[in-house]
Amino acid sequence: MRLDSLSEMQVDALRECGSIGAGHAATALSQLVGHPISIDVPTLEVVGIGDVPELFGGPEVLVAAVHVRLLGDLGGSMLFMAERKSALALVDLMRSRAVGSVRTYGADEEALVTHVASILMSAYLAAIGRLADVSMLPARPSSALDMAGALMEAVTSAAAMHADVALFLRTRFHDADTSVDAYMFFLPDLDSLEVLLGRLGVA
Amino acid sequence: MEAATFDGGADPNHIIVGVGEIACAEDPQVLITQALGSCIGLTLWDPRLRLGGMAHVMLPASPGGDFTGCRHRFADLAVPELVEQMVDAGAGRHRLIAKIAGGASMFKGESGMDSIGGRNAAAVLEQLEKCGLLVRAADTGGSHARTIELHLDTGILLVRSYSYGMREI
Repeated sequence: MRLDSLSEMQVDALRECGSIGAGHAATALSQLVGHPISIDVPTLEVVGIGDVPELFGGPEVLVAAVHVRLLGDLGGSMLFMAERKSALALVDLMRSRAVGSVRTYGADEEALVTHVASILMSAYLAAIGRLADVSMLPARPSSALDMAGALMEAVTSAAAMHADVALFLRTRFHDADTSVDAYMFFLPDLDSLEVLLGRLGVA
Repeated sequence: MEAATFDGGADPNHIIVGVGEIACAEDPQVLITQALGSCIGLTLWDPRLRLGGMAHVMLPASPGGDFTGCRHRFADLAVPELVEQMVDAGAGRHRLIAKIAGGASMFKGESGMDSIGGRNAAAVLEQLEKCGLLVRAADTGGSHARTIELHLDTGILLVRSYSYGMREI
């Protein structure tokens, strides 16, 4: 199958999948931080490999990121990303402190963000799993604080082996004053995407 | 760090080499590639003509067979092609000074993905050797992203990262 020739129905089905996953993840996040978090309508992006580093505001933007590989019926990756400031706001909310309290993104902060991200991803994957009747589990998460472009590139290099484009389902999470403004990307493998579309009845 | 280089492309002499691209240029131009993670930035420089080339390599080897996509993200295709383009532009093959940077493992605590950076570095070295070139300087590995600039007047390769600031190799 070719990523750049998905039918309108397939795109809709994937976006719907993304909405349901994101809805569950947003609920989980709101409960975790005790503070309402909203989501924007998820977008499906099919991007040339060369443009991948531009996807998050520019190649050199400093971001906190958490990556997990998928285990189970479907293969692929999930990536959580937030600009450094936003990741720090998330830490403050988790610790029930005023946003702006923590100034350093150190090992404790990174561990906390990794933990939160991995709960969000589990909620997202479980919801899609129920919808499409597939089992998807997150593997052990890994994290980084570095240039957005390099992190996106590392995550898509496996896809670049076989195609000139990569497919992302992107969700934006934010609170009312966007002190928290984070993104989650779902990147199913090409083979897994076919399986997922099949289960959704739009293969 | 000068803002002019960090935002990339603001200066008309700055040539940005994208992921999976190769490019050649001459003094006073500066070849730049941004945010190398597991990818390798390879630079070649001819000191006599102040002519340089840069490749942003993403993967060690092309899948071969019926692959018809963009070729220059693979080490086995991009490296010989860059050397040829340099020679075609008039550079002396024996004068070329090769430097590499990148090949990091971007995510801490991950198996699987760790090896891509290392394999990219090894593949680029192997391809250079096939072209009869040795690497003069390298800044590879670790777990941090790098942006590189090849200054064609001096042949200096500037490596910038959030973790270590600026380094010249």
